[in-house]
Amino acid sequence: MAKWDYDGPILEIDKLSISFFTRLREIPAVMDFSANVMPGEALGLVGESGCGKSTVALGVMQDLGVNGQIVGGTIKFKGRDISELTPEELRDVRGNEIAMIYQEPMASLNPAMRIGKQLMEVPMIHEGIDAKVAYQRALEVVTDVKLPDPERILNSFPHQLSGGQQQRIVIAMALMSKPSLLILDEPTTALDVTVEAAVVDLVKDLGKKYGTSMLFISHNLGLVLETCDRICVMYSGEAVERGSIDDVFNQMQHPYTQALFRSIPLPGADKNSRPLVAIPGNFPLPHERPPGCNFGPRCDYFVEGVCDTGNVMMEQISGDDRHVSRCRRIKEIDWHAPIAAAIRQEKAEIGEVVLKMKDLKKYYEVAASALFGGGSKKVVKANETLSFEARESETLAIVGESGCGKSTFAKVLMGLETATDGEILLDGNSIGDIPIEARDTATVSSVQMVFQNPFDTLNPSMTVGRQIIRALEIFKVGANESERRERMLVLLDMVKLPREFADRMPRQLSGGQKQRVGIARAFAGGARIVVADEPVSALDVSVQAAVTDLLMEIQRTEKTTLLFISHDLSIVRYLSDRVMVMYLGHVVEIGTTDQVFSPPYHPYTEALLSAVPIADTKIEKKRIVLEGEIPSAMNPPSGCPFQTRCGWKDQVPDGLCDREVPPMVTLAEGHQVKCHLSLEILHRMEPVIKIAAE
Amino acid sequence: MEPLSWIDIILRLLAQLTPVWIALVATFTISITYKRRLGLYGKLFDSTIGMVGFALVMFWVYAAIFGAFDLIITHNALEQVSGMKNKPPGTPLSGAKEGEYAYYLLGGDNLARDVFSRMIKGSWVVVQIAPLATVFAFMVGITLGLPAGYYGGKLDTLLSFLANLILAFPVILLFYLLVTPEIVDTGIPSYMGAVMFIFPIAFVGILLNSRYHTQPAIRTPLLIGVLGVMFWLYLSLISESGTKLDVIPRWLDGFDIPGGILVVFVSVVFVNSPTVFRIVRGLAMDIKTRDYVAAAQTRGEGPWYIMLWEILPNARGPLIVDFCLRVGYTTILLGTLGFFGLGLPPESPDWGSTINEGRKLLSIYLHPALPPALALLSLVLGLNLLADGLREESLRD
Repeated sequence: MAKWDYDGPILEIDKLSISFFTRLREIPAVMDFSANVMPGEALGLVGESGCGKSTVALGVMQDLGVNGQIVGGTIKFKGRDISELTPEELRDVRGNEIAMIYQEPMASLNPAMRIGKQLMEVPMIHEGIDAKVAYQRALEVVTDVKLPDPERILNSFPHQLSGGQQQRIVIAMALMSKPSLLILDEPTTALDVTVEAAVVDLVKDLGKKYGTSMLFISHNLGLVLETCDRICVMYSGEAVERGSIDDVFNQMQHPYTQALFRSIPLPGADKNSRPLVAIPGNFPLPHERPPGCNFGPRCDYFVEGVCDTGNVMMEQISGDDRHVSRCRRIKEIDWHAPIAAAIRQEKAEIGEVVLKMKDLKKYYEVAASALFGGGSKKVVKANETLSFEARESETLAIVGESGCGKSTFAKVLMGLETATDGEILLDGNSIGDIPIEARDTATVSSVQMVFQNPFDTLNPSMTVGRQIIRALEIFKVGANESERRERMLVLLDMVKLPREFADRMPRQLSGGQKQRVGIARAFAGGARIVVADEPVSALDVSVQAAVTDLLMEIQRTEKTTLLFISHDLSIVRYLSDRVMVMYLGHVVEIGTTDQVFSPPYHPYTEALLSAVPIADTKIEKKRIVLEGEIPSAMNPPSGCPFQTRCGWKDQVPDGLCDREVPPMVTLAEGHQVKCHLSLEILHRMEPVIKIAAE
Repeated sequence: MEPLSWIDIILRLLAQLTPVWIALVATFTISITYKRRLGLYGKLFDSTIGMVGFALVMFWVYAAIFGAFDLIITHNALEQVSGMKNKPPGTPLSGAKEGEYAYYLLGGDNLARDVFSRMIKGSWVVVQIAPLATVFAFMVGITLGLPAGYYGGKLDTLLSFLANLILAFPVILLFYLLVTPEIVDTGIPSYMGAVMFIFPIAFVGILLNSRYHTQPAIRTPLLIGVLGVMFWLYLSLISESGTKLDVIPRWLDGFDIPGGILVVFVSVVFVNSPTVFRIVRGLAMDIKTRDYVAAAQTRGEGPWYIMLWEILPNARGPLIVDFCLRVGYTTILLGTLGFFGLGLPPESPDWGSTINEGRKLLSIYLHPALPPALALLSLVLGLNLLADGLREESLRD
């Protein structure tokens, strides 16, 4: 069908309200939401989970399910009210005029259909063109999304591609019919940082090339800064601030936006002069929203009688272009007041070496044929000669993308697997080849772990208190039930949860609260080494800061050694003393935080740093986009593990990188790099992150 | 006396079932009043399908219980009254004495017994055996399925192979073999029972030990008490004087299960447990990847604690639904067994046997076969609707 020609805004949302109806009550998910998207413009929709940003997208697609309903306002697409379209017209619009890209690429592709066929389907259905033309178009689009060997890709099934490639295919599919509006719902959350950077670049370029308008939904302010022209911040179902990127990032006019920015670590800023400020309190449940301003109870500028009455309306900010904010006290608040200096916490003195790894190796043998067990065995080298030390009260960050071997290392340390070779020394005693069943209670309780996914870390059918008491029982803490109960309540105090939570079920807790329970459980036996596996990456921005602070505070009082596994370099820079960068089972760089975050870098560290989206307009970044995918650990490249993606490879003479694994080179006291580059070249490297002169 | 008209018959049937109606209304009133506090059971009362299913099931449960106390039935289920052979529904009793119910409400069968009373009495047999056999099948399936799913590897391959072997065997042939007198005489069914009934003891023993092993002061007396009672029940159950398994003296033997019922029980458990095994194994393989299982491993919990306290409670949703469906299958299986005349004594009023007897004169007299058939249909339908309702409600929030 022919596309509508229309000059005005592509999408006009006016005072939109969407509610979900459950058996108990009506739950308003979106209230009084307005936004316009002009042709070729990218609008970023930012907010924490549950703020209604995905509901807006589904409302635009008219795909709210049986429970959802638009209860007020209009959505106009190219001037036509989308709720008045017949199902047939709607079908023409979806996928043709408006395309959507979801978070999980594998879930948006049909696993039983070849990629080419899925792509060709789109124009064949919407435009009725024949298969040949469609194939040509598919080839063209796949080339556009920068996939190597397009013909082979078109002929493969989704499971044969990596996550990043799958997401590129999903983007290609969305572009097949040259839509006017592209809705991206957290398109890169499931991807690794370096892959994310490449996909974000791609989306930006394609937006320019095809002139597509974009609605970009994300919780990551840095990503929005990189991709969008305008931004809309949502809180608890309402848009609280809307404006151009420049205005909102530099002249924010809403307390929530300000609080959001203050709760994320910026890699360019110093942690002492710009401490993280967590937003107090919790996100209100949709049926427990306060009167007046929704953010009121958590706001620093709250004034009784002003902020808690009536409906707060959007107000135009004079002087700025289409910049509006939903706050009654815009003019009274001093927006440029510096952050109130946090009470400077004296860092505990770093003590003796507690944990020492010596040439740790972990290999897995995988039978080539799973069914009959015979055939040749393949060896997966998950960890290759890991050596480092960790001291008391020290935070050692382990950074790397998925498949780099950091989880395997954690498993070996915990005793769930035993080391193939090398030693792990805990207080001088070797524990590397003792499985957990054979370890004594003291060893087990002193090495504990905090897990990544808060929704998975607690057993859903046991009360919170019971789970902590169970850990105490296992660690032989307390002589009887009542002593253990008392100790459990003390642990809840330690993680700043109210004591009533002891009798709650995990499903009654929010993500951040669950993570706190997970921390309390890990410290039940007085843990001395805690492995924190991405403890905050699944949490909302405003909660991340609070949980991070909690971990650091407990570390100060308990003198714990924290092994902080993460891919988020901003937070790593904020809290760690030393950093270890891993790639494909190898440690490629290790040093103090300052050494790792400033040149000379290992080429991989350099790429990682440049891939991190930073929510600060003043920062200039060198863009290094890594080509290709992370190689499989089953079939690692010869020589240096990073040589297939390295941008500096041509600086090393006579193909040394292809042949030999580089040795660990000591650059400074405690700073080691595994690279063939000569010292001279390494020292010539420029910093990736620069703060632009004001 | 005149025979009753159909309207009279229906009115009298409804009146006869009064205790059931009272119990049903009471159950529903109480449950709906407190449904918000009753968890999944309470949620059931938000779904029409679930409520219909629950009502059908509870109708037969109450009918069975009251019937067992001789409340609803009009005549003795085994008593023959001369002149009532194959009489149509509503026929007055010839020569009714004082205090006797004056009609055969649903007619008489070919041995002149009251069809209505036999149907109610038969429900007691079904309501007793089907859920109990299903519980045992679940115990066996869970105790084997959890380690198979949790450990995987060779153990899983072996157990799955055995399960497939049993599933591949024709069920009816298996039943015929198990009830053949020659085979019963060799004691094979009793031995199979002895093996199968040990699973609940193992299950409860491991369950309690894994939970309390850190506190020996609580663990030891608890285990001795619970396992002692269960072991005595077990011995009483399997030991029967005069058979191959006569292990404990008469004075200790608490009760005897008639040999026929034991065989039926064993065969039903035997064919049901492989399917339960496969469901539990699948669920365990899924749940063992969760972080809370990893957390339990890293604090050094034993494998059985993880399986029974971390994995099993979180697999309960699908298992409850499957339990309801499986009680339904077992009911049909019992009907089938009765229909083939296997296991239960010939005069037993259970529905399968009654249908089989009624079948012989089906072209002339429809009424003796129809009520038990409808009863079977409504109970199984109720169980399936109940399972549907539970599944639907457990997914909603």
